[in-house]
Amino acid sequence: MPHPSTTRSITRRTLLGTGGLAAAGATVAAWPRLTGSDIPGRGEDVLRVAIQGTTQDAAARQDLADAFMAENPDIPVQFEAIQSADWGGFFTKILTMVASGTAPDVVYLATEGAQLFAERLAEPLDEWITSEAPQMVDYFQDVHPALVEAFMYQGSLYALPLDFNAANMYLNRNALQQAGLDFPAPDWGVDEFEEMLRTMQAQSAANFVPYYWTNRLFGGIVPWLYANDTSILTEERFDGGDWLWDTFYTPEKTSSRRGGYRWTGSNVSSDRVHQTFERLRGWVADDLSVRPEEGGGNALVGLFGSSRIGATPAGGYWAQGLHEAGMSPDAFDVQYFPQWRTQRHQFGTAGYSILRSSTRKEQAWRWLSFTARKEAMETAFPTPSTTPTRRSMVDDAFYSETGPHNWKVFYDTLDQFPTSGPIPAPPQQAEVENALARNVASGMGGGPAQLDAALERLDRELTAAMEKAA
Amino acid sequence: MSIDTAPTRSTSRPASRPSAEDSPSHTRARRSRRSERWVIILLLAPTVLGMGIFTLLPIVGSLALAFFEWDLITAPEFAGLDNFIALGADATVRTAFLNTIVFVVVAVVLQLALAVFLAVMVQSRMPVWLRLFFRSTFFFPLVLSAASVSIFMRYMFNEQFGVVNWLLGTVGIAQVPWLTTSTGAAAVVIFVFVWQNFGFSFLILLGGIAAVPQELYEAAEIDGARGWKAFKNVTLPLISPSLLVASVTAMITALQVFDQPYVLTRGGPGDSTRSAVMVVFEAAFQRLEFGLASAAGLVLMALIMLITWIQFRLSRRFVFYQ
Repeated sequence: MPHPSTTRSITRRTLLGTGGLAAAGATVAAWPRLTGSDIPGRGEDVLRVAIQGTTQDAAARQDLADAFMAENPDIPVQFEAIQSADWGGFFTKILTMVASGTAPDVVYLATEGAQLFAERLAEPLDEWITSEAPQMVDYFQDVHPALVEAFMYQGSLYALPLDFNAANMYLNRNALQQAGLDFPAPDWGVDEFEEMLRTMQAQSAANFVPYYWTNRLFGGIVPWLYANDTSILTEERFDGGDWLWDTFYTPEKTSSRRGGYRWTGSNVSSDRVHQTFERLRGWVADDLSVRPEEGGGNALVGLFGSSRIGATPAGGYWAQGLHEAGMSPDAFDVQYFPQWRTQRHQFGTAGYSILRSSTRKEQAWRWLSFTARKEAMETAFPTPSTTPTRRSMVDDAFYSETGPHNWKVFYDTLDQFPTSGPIPAPPQQAEVENALARNVASGMGGGPAQLDAALERLDRELTAAMEKAA
Repeated sequence: MSIDTAPTRSTSRPASRPSAEDSPSHTRARRSRRSERWVIILLLAPTVLGMGIFTLLPIVGSLALAFFEWDLITAPEFAGLDNFIALGADATVRTAFLNTIVFVVVAVVLQLALAVFLAVMVQSRMPVWLRLFFRSTFFFPLVLSAASVSIFMRYMFNEQFGVVNWLLGTVGIAQVPWLTTSTGAAAVVIFVFVWQNFGFSFLILLGGIAAVPQELYEAAEIDGARGWKAFKNVTLPLISPSLLVASVTAMITALQVFDQPYVLTRGGPGDSTRSAVMVVFEAAFQRLEFGLASAAGLVLMALIMLITWIQFRLSRRFVFYQ
């Protein structure tokens, strides 16, 4: 005879009741998740600062937040790390947060999104800077005006640049040595560069690539266009900005500075643009260079570190990356970008910006002015994973562990070549980058006729993009 | 005129006598039916609610949004058919949709051919443990993240440093520009998609093949049909219902391809691997043209529905139900 307990069945009522209770319990337990109230900072009286990166990146900045809160105990700061493949993805996520009514107060903004944010989302800093001019003198005197102008739009400033990277040329010393070449002089030219690539190619193993470049706005074809004194977009300047230049800089330093860059239309039909593209296409055809992949570059540090690449354009951010990849400071070095018609460099910069929608603008400004202080920047940038915008921080000690030996080029780029310009990033940056990337890929993959077709299409697409309202 | 007041059997019952419907057993049955109805409603409610909130509402919202211009920040503005006209006028959009159709044809044919071939192989005589191994192995890519697989494949197919070209090099084949030429990039995207997705078709078809009665093969063998003949005349007709399910799901998945071309090539070189869903993504999340993105999404949805409808219409001719 079976034991009574084994024959007792669960009634439907019991089953439904248990299920209902379980569902109710699960709903109650998941309520914070369902309503989004468990998202850090949401619904709390804190200053929400959005950065591009992971939660580890946010945690790495906690020292900075702690230092700020020690000084401003009434302003709690909460970092919100937003992961994205590139700056474009980051800005889109910020815009989505704005649309959903959960916009942060402060965003770490890069050149790529500076004009888009200035046009639509960001609060100009002019009044705060003017009213606190005496406290800001130290910052501006330490920061190159080219970086400041990159965050100007229609004469107003939208962020205080904290770090930057210019597209310099990294060279693999092992490859140079193997090819019997000396490290190039600062005023080297594009012909010398090409000759270097040919010599490297002749002396190297089969899987060695003399020149590696990526297909994007920073470090792709744009630095070559700048060196050839041209660009994909016609470049002008907005009027204005005198309120800042006259207050913080001497006239001789800022005589060419205006109210920010103004890109007005496509410049792709220019002969110089064609000449630049054709030269790079020739390098690809001669196997001196890779065909650039869109959005590539993930494996670059490892490949450069293993001496399979001779040269590649990158900024100061690479110093730490190569060090972490195990590359000795003696195994590589950096030089200015080669000269063509000019030696104008391309750079990108980044800094905190206040959103117009913020209800804590005064608190946000306190954060901005705090993070621009030297001691705060030293906390924020303990290693050369980027180049700080304060000249006084870029010194031998900063690069002593990582190299490169020629680290001075990082900041001297701005002093030696004051016409150096930011990434061409109008408010329509996403369309510009998209059009550039796909037509570069197409143009570099075939013969001259294919390049001509790609440039014609790039011209059409950029014209259409720039005609659109931002 | 007389009125028949005689009680009829069907309408008149003594009030004092309970009818069969009012009997306790019938009342219990009615309560039980009512209770069952509530159980059904209760059990369906989460799915219906979920579908309503997360599928139906977005479709309706997207349908409405397709007639507006909206950039997330400013208020939407009614645009009539402008978004659809802009889609038609955009060469990139046309190329992307054409790419998608070509991709679907090639990828689905390859996927089904590979799945049928492997399913037949695995179902043939082999030890049970080996069959189990193949089943798991072929299904395994499907559980991986498409983005992770694509990143991995991107390294493998790198022209200068990838293992694929290295292997080709060991047999004297020159480096192939897999991801930087139109043909190479398209081939890699199709390969990665098929590699990752054929496992689902394989499982469906494996079930179909396992259900084919052994006697039919024996009868066919007596009639002299073996190998290819047996496959063509016995297996293929009998697995045609499974083949229909596999082809419909494969077609729908292929029409929505995004991860592989986005991670491997970003749609390039040029527009050679740009897919319809990439157009939707780029319009919405790169250019903030949500109206245009919705319009593109609706066109894609219509295309999927049309192709699925054609498949089901054709299935009447080619699918054999036992």
